Amino acid sequence: MLDTEAIFLSFKLALYTLAIMLPLGIWLAHRLVRMGPAKPWLEALLALPLVLPPTVLGYYLLVGFGDVSLFGYPLVFSFEGILLASLIVNLPFAVQPIQRALESISPEIREAAQVSGLSHWQIFRLIELPLAWRGVTSAAVMTFAHTLGEFGVILMVGGAIPGETKTVSIAIYDKVQGFDIAGAGLLSLLLLGTSLIAIALSYGVLGRRKAC
Amino acid sequence: MLKLRIYQTIPMPLQLDIECANGELHALVGPSGSGKTSALRTIAGLRNPAHGQIECNGETWFSAEEGAGLKPLALSPAQRSCGLLFQQYALFPHLSAIDNVQIPLQNTPHTAAEKQAIAQDWLARMGISELAQRMPNQLSGGQQQRVALARALARQPKILLLDEPFSAIDTPTRQGLYKTLAELRRDLHIPIILVTHDLREAGLLADRITVIDRGIGLQTASPQNLFQKPRNSRVAELVGISNLFQGRFNQGKLHWQGTDIALDVVDKNKIPADSVVAWVIPQSGISVGRTKTALSHTASVSEISAIGQIAVIQFAIPASDQTVIWEASAAEVRRLELGVGVQVELELDGKQIHIMPLRPINDPRRFTTIAPS
Repeated sequence: MLDTEAIFLSFKLALYTLAIMLPLGIWLAHRLVRMGPAKPWLEALLALPLVLPPTVLGYYLLVGFGDVSLFGYPLVFSFEGILLASLIVNLPFAVQPIQRALESISPEIREAAQVSGLSHWQIFRLIELPLAWRGVTSAAVMTFAHTLGEFGVILMVGGAIPGETKTVSIAIYDKVQGFDIAGAGLLSLLLLGTSLIAIALSYGVLGRRKAC
Repeated sequence: MLKLRIYQTIPMPLQLDIECANGELHALVGPSGSGKTSALRTIAGLRNPAHGQIECNGETWFSAEEGAGLKPLALSPAQRSCGLLFQQYALFPHLSAIDNVQIPLQNTPHTAAEKQAIAQDWLARMGISELAQRMPNQLSGGQQQRVALARALARQPKILLLDEPFSAIDTPTRQGLYKTLAELRRDLHIPIILVTHDLREAGLLADRITVIDRGIGLQTASPQNLFQKPRNSRVAELVGISNLFQGRFNQGKLHWQGTDIALDVVDKNKIPADSVVAWVIPQSGISVGRTKTALSHTASVSEISAIGQIAVIQFAIPASDQTVIWEASAAEVRRLELGVGVQVELELDGKQIHIMPLRPINDPRRFTTIAPS
């Protein structure tokens, strides 16, 4: 039987992460493009979730969050906690594609915009963001799909509280532990299908625009 | 009127003093890497020099001066109102031609319909109104340049800056651009600064030319003056004067270095006695004949290259390594029966000889005085 509660929670987590991560990722990428000598250090820090084992990251977050609460909610073993963990884990997936896209804009284009009398905000809104849209789309799809499938960090920080922290990937693990192979298979298929559709759609959109 | 007086030594030397009146076309000419484009970017506010001042129509755009109630000032590119035509055009690739031209109108009080009409009007003036909806990658190089020019002019800039506009376009497109520039110059009545490495083009279009080398403005003059009276030997070299020689000048006599020839030359008493100088003579100062006269010097033809109806003849001065280049018509070559090895009589008109220091004018060591022995 499908664990609809876990499915709902996973999608809620993915959408919340996306809603917060995308503007944050665009802002961070924009800052990184213009950053001076500190750039490699910040880039390395942001890329850490890519190379650290999820359990190690989860351990640090678990210990780090400890008794910390956000807006009155404890972070450990709560939805807010797994949302924050998910944001940290997704930083490289969101920032890197946008940063690469912004870096590929020729400096002359920005200068032409400056000389045309545009303010920094106008240059960002009218020139840089539309030119970096491929990177932004990639970042959105990667963040969404990656959050849906996140396991290690979620388990460490959130445990498996139904309706609060038990996402689809945790539910799959639980079902396999409980020898419900058919239930685990269904949920796995759902994750596989959703990820495939999201990536295929983004490739389709990116590819079509490239052709014109 | 643009007034530019800038100076810096790092990160690259830049020393320029330029004035360009409204309606005037001023060319900055120099070899690659000489700092021409840096000068243009400095005017646009894309970079700031260490010292100096930039004024346009009485408004200070940049001033590094401090003290006595003065504060350093550097207006942003957006505040300066410059129209800059980039060498690679720098069109916004995600916007159509008309949207590109509308970008500079963003912060104007016009309505959307008015902005559209202004942009369409500029495209029409550039002769490309039918291409308004095309994306930049659907336009040829020449068409892209016209869109870029329309964009540069859309917000009625106080000055127009052109960075190597002729470098990447073919000859017919180039002829069209000459015409457009001439029309713009007549209609806009703003200073136009043209950066180019092509001296011929600068001579054709500009009222005045500044020769730049290694960031330093060596000479500003009208094209005619520049070719006839280069300020120093480096300018003469850069403007491609073929008959550039060295000599020793003393009280009206120019002793041509490497030869026994002494020429009578008029000078305005600017050059110290017994100085080593560079000197040039224009083509109009060279007469060639077959009969010896009191003022002639014997030479022999060492090389003839004929290009269509024009021949370039090289004369060797006997007992020296000096050669004189003379351009003549094919008919003249036939009349004088010139051929390699033929002896001729050269007359060099001292009135047309221009002598100059060997070093740039701002170098205190420009005259190397020979101590009397």
